[in-house]
Amino acid sequence: MNIGESIFQAFDSVRTNKLRTFLTLLSISIGVFAIIGAGSLVDSINGSVFSEMEALGRNSFFIYRVPALNMGHNWRKYRKRKPITYSVLKELKKNMTLAEFVTAQGYSFGTTIEYGENETDPDVGLIGADENFFTAQNVSINKGRPFTQEDIDYNRSFAVIGNDIVVKLFPNIDPIAKKIKIKNHSYTVIGVLESKGAVLGESQDNRVIIPLTEFLKYYASLWEYDLFITIKSQDYESLNDAIDESIGIMRSVRNLKPWQENDFEVETNESLTEQFASFTDFLSYFGAFSGIIALIAAGVGIMNIMLVSVKERTREIGIRKAVGAKRRWILTQFIIEAITLCQIGGLIGIIMGIVASAFFGSLMSIKLVLPYSWVIFSIIICTLLGIIFGAYPAWKAAKLDPIDALRYE
Amino acid sequence: MELKEENRNGTTLIEIEHIAKIYRMGTEYVHALRDITLQINKNDYLAIMGPSGSGKSTLMNIIGCLDTPTKGKYLFKEMDVSEMTDNDLASIRNKEIGFVFQTFNLLSRSTSLKNVELPLIYGGFGASARHEKAMKAMENVGLGDRVNHKPNELSGGQRQRVAVARALVTEPSIILADEPTGNLDSKTGLEIMNLFNELWKAGNTIIVVTHEEEVARFAKRIIKLRDGLIEHDSVNHHQRALTEEAQP
Repeated sequence: MNIGESIFQAFDSVRTNKLRTFLTLLSISIGVFAIIGAGSLVDSINGSVFSEMEALGRNSFFIYRVPALNMGHNWRKYRKRKPITYSVLKELKKNMTLAEFVTAQGYSFGTTIEYGENETDPDVGLIGADENFFTAQNVSINKGRPFTQEDIDYNRSFAVIGNDIVVKLFPNIDPIAKKIKIKNHSYTVIGVLESKGAVLGESQDNRVIIPLTEFLKYYASLWEYDLFITIKSQDYESLNDAIDESIGIMRSVRNLKPWQENDFEVETNESLTEQFASFTDFLSYFGAFSGIIALIAAGVGIMNIMLVSVKERTREIGIRKAVGAKRRWILTQFIIEAITLCQIGGLIGIIMGIVASAFFGSLMSIKLVLPYSWVIFSIIICTLLGIIFGAYPAWKAAKLDPIDALRYE
Repeated sequence: MELKEENRNGTTLIEIEHIAKIYRMGTEYVHALRDITLQINKNDYLAIMGPSGSGKSTLMNIIGCLDTPTKGKYLFKEMDVSEMTDNDLASIRNKEIGFVFQTFNLLSRSTSLKNVELPLIYGGFGASARHEKAMKAMENVGLGDRVNHKPNELSGGQRQRVAVARALVTEPSIILADEPTGNLDSKTGLEIMNLFNELWKAGNTIIVVTHEEEVARFAKRIIKLRDGLIEHDSVNHHQRALTEEAQP
């Protein structure tokens, strides 16, 4: 059987029935686009989030006030919980024996940093950090030094600045020991961070780090600031013991009676990653599901095109049968045509999906992950679509009587 | 039959015994063929004539294995065609029969060479064998320089030559032509009949279905049908030789 000829014929029918074919192929492209776009975007997000999470390691866990993915039904209960304050952090630091470190940060976005006459845009991330921040977040110092425990305890007006700040405020000057101003408070620069680029579209260099105590004092006092505490156990084997220990300390710090349940959340890095993955999985399955619905609609269009094509080419089928084409050859020819049509549409959809996710990926500054499994999935789906919706027209063509077909005008 | 004595090499190709073809049209039955008995030998040149409705098209379809008889027996090279399945008929058509139609029936989007290659595709020939055989057939009909032309770039006579090349390319046992000159002017029609004559002289078996005396005159044997029966079957003693002005 001549597959090449059938594929050529499919392209020919695209050429001769441009609009009709274009509209049908468009719906296939949209379906595949939904599958590839969602798949590619989700894979890319997963890739960068998981590499972030992995940096923290398997033996990290977190303590915070309300669940990360709270579906809303217990909102009242969570709202009444007491905030997790700096003194809680200090108690944990003092009493944890199984922890490699205990740490917490405060974040404030959209701060302006001033130096002399110059100032930055009001888009700098202000971070309140403790002495363990640099280890926990895997942040290295390029110049100067990080915070020590005394800097935190004595509430020193020190700052460590990111590379974007250096570029903006200290173009040709050594920033170390210079005094910068944040909301009228003055800080001495003691260190510069190693440049880290961007994660999920956010520059990791456009930030200033000050001691957590200082941060809580000036920048978080409007609300009782809730800390998100990160604890790393010494190794993976002692993770559960460390969690138990931290829960005990938390309960005693917060004066919980034995019958009361925890008024805080504890999650491991793994369980958080899983929760996140189940959410992104849902996204990609939702994309695939909507894509398949679009593809089924497109399949009906393909069937229509093929039925018209069979009708228009009745005489051709008669000629082929007269010179010796068997039924299955005619059947194969039309099914291959249908598959080719679907693949043309699918290919356009794959390209559109990859281009779109590359575009959104670049907006969010995440590295594009080519969703190979979704590409293969789309190709298989398009092939099935061609077989399923091409079968009936092809069967109609194959069972044509050669005499009637030859006489058809 | 007087024909048998004249049979040049004595090989029987087709034996048709008492065949009938009955169609159902709604509630009525139409007897297209009532009782036909016929023998065709190798290198026969046969014209089947008759007015419309006489059953000549039906007979041609049955001889060409496009259709099977309702009753009777049809032996093609001693194979019983009347009992064959669609697929078996398709392969007989592919290997043993070359069709030439009144309306040429070429694939309009393909070049003449591709058209000639078509039966070879279904015959399972590889690309290079197909090309070689199709080129030879095109040269045989005098169109060696028109292989890359599409049907709409050729004259009617040239199109019919391409159709003849397609019929010849599998070296079939019979060439079956249905009103081959019906869509051609008389001069071009003469050229095609000229071509058939040459093919016959080269040893081919030719069956022409026609209602034109002019065309039938070229045949060696003429069968006249009427109302589904053979009215007349005789040797054409006035077989027309080629006229010089018919040569292109």
